[in-house]
Amino acid sequence: MSTPAEPKSRFSIVRSCITMWGIVRAILKNRFVLYVISVVCFLYVWDFIAVHRVFGSYMPRLVEVISKLGSMMAEPLATKTLLEHVWASLSRVLIGFLLAVVTGVALGLFMALNRHVNAFVRPVFDLLKPMPPIAWISLSILWFGIGETSKVFIIWVGAVVPCVINAYNGIRLIDPELYDVVRMLGGKPRDEAVEVVMPAAFPAIFAGIQISLSSAWACVVAAELVAARSGIGFIINLGMNLSEPSMIVGGMAIIALIAWVIALSVEWLERWLCPWKRELLNG
Amino acid sequence: MGKKPKIACEGVTKSFLRDMKTIPVLDTFDLSVQENEFVVILGPGQSGKTTLLRIIAGLETSSSGRVLMDGNVVTGPGQERGLVFQRYMLFPWKTVMGNVELGPKLRGVPKKDRREIASHYVNLVGLSGFENAYPHQLSGGMKQRVGIARAYANKPEVMLLDEPFGQLDAQTRYFMAKETTRIWETEKRTVIFVTNNIEEAIFLGDRIITLDGKLPGRIKSTFRVDLPRPREHIDADFLELRRVITEETRLLL
Repeated sequence: MSTPAEPKSRFSIVRSCITMWGIVRAILKNRFVLYVISVVCFLYVWDFIAVHRVFGSYMPRLVEVISKLGSMMAEPLATKTLLEHVWASLSRVLIGFLLAVVTGVALGLFMALNRHVNAFVRPVFDLLKPMPPIAWISLSILWFGIGETSKVFIIWVGAVVPCVINAYNGIRLIDPELYDVVRMLGGKPRDEAVEVVMPAAFPAIFAGIQISLSSAWACVVAAELVAARSGIGFIINLGMNLSEPSMIVGGMAIIALIAWVIALSVEWLERWLCPWKRELLNG
Repeated sequence: MGKKPKIACEGVTKSFLRDMKTIPVLDTFDLSVQENEFVVILGPGQSGKTTLLRIIAGLETSSSGRVLMDGNVVTGPGQERGLVFQRYMLFPWKTVMGNVELGPKLRGVPKKDRREIASHYVNLVGLSGFENAYPHQLSGGMKQRVGIARAYANKPEVMLLDEPFGQLDAQTRYFMAKETTRIWETEKRTVIFVTNNIEEAIFLGDRIITLDGKLPGRIKSTFRVDLPRPREHIDADFLELRRVITEETRLLL
């Protein structure tokens, strides 16, 4: 009865500290809070490097990059505004990528469905497969000049391999009993192709197409760095020659942004095209 | 016995070539199944029973001998025989409805009619309400119900079931055997049912054909099961038959 108040209040302080800590921990564990912290930390480190000149004067601050991008939107650079440069790169990617998908998937299909074709193509394909597409740049410029063709060629080289491999594997890994299902139900070989081969191989082919697309995007920048009068790689290269780091980082930021948008839209496309896979992932 | 058999195997022999060696799988197999008869082929693993079923289905050819259906030689798979697969073999990209209506679709039945047929069989196997579910959302027992509905929906005269409940847990297996009886009694078909489970065989079959325990597979004995349906696993006659078959099997192992 003498001093009951003191220990009780001390206890309640401890307890409220524990609850406070619990709340803080819950906030820190929240996914979105962590996202924000991650981005803020990244921007802070960036700004620290720029302001304290860790790499001399060759690191622009975020504001400089944004204002540079703004000015490139308005004032043409080598006769093209920023959006026109982006479009130059994008159109190269699209052409090379589409050519690669058409030829690569077709080749993969033939290799999977006919073992003679496979035996004929495979040795050369395996020989050329591990070659980095960028290694082709010099030869490509000698062959096709510094115009569009050489860049489309590089993109094609980079994008065709995953298409071939995934189309081939996608078909080879189909459970042969699935064909028996169609045959038992009275289906013809054409039905086996429509009802089994295409839908069963589709997810693998689509995954190959996704890899192709990011590979194509890497290739276009590399090709433009070497020889181009337009495109994002050209902007980056020009920034280096003009000692304008904000131009370089601006170009890099645009690449990251576009690659992100493309990845998102491809993911969305896949969810739409393969509903049976979507629920597999979410469930 | 004046009736012509629905399915007849005459001296069916099968051997595979593997690593330059001939492996005999079936040895002069004779079997005749009457219309609407439920025949169970009972044998342990590796006794050639799946191969036999695939030959009757027309998915494989016999090395010698022949399979007749209604007196005509079977030369390949056909719509008049329906097969239910051990590993379900549902198309994961199709819904329950899409899987079940596949047979009529391949035969060119118009969409509205085949939906009607498929709904009927989805109901028959007790899956109404799951028409738009994808196979990965279903349990093993439900998947095989889809497999059965898919085979039924193509209106085959003979149903071939290849260890259809082999991948299910024991309880679901009992229940599916009951369901199989119910479905078969609702829409009678000639059935050849392959299993390695003695109780399942006695529960289902009009006639049980046991196979030798090792390759090449050949018929060991035939049991006629005259117990009234629905059968009870604890019925005295059921237990007696189980004892006889178990005794016989034990000698093999």
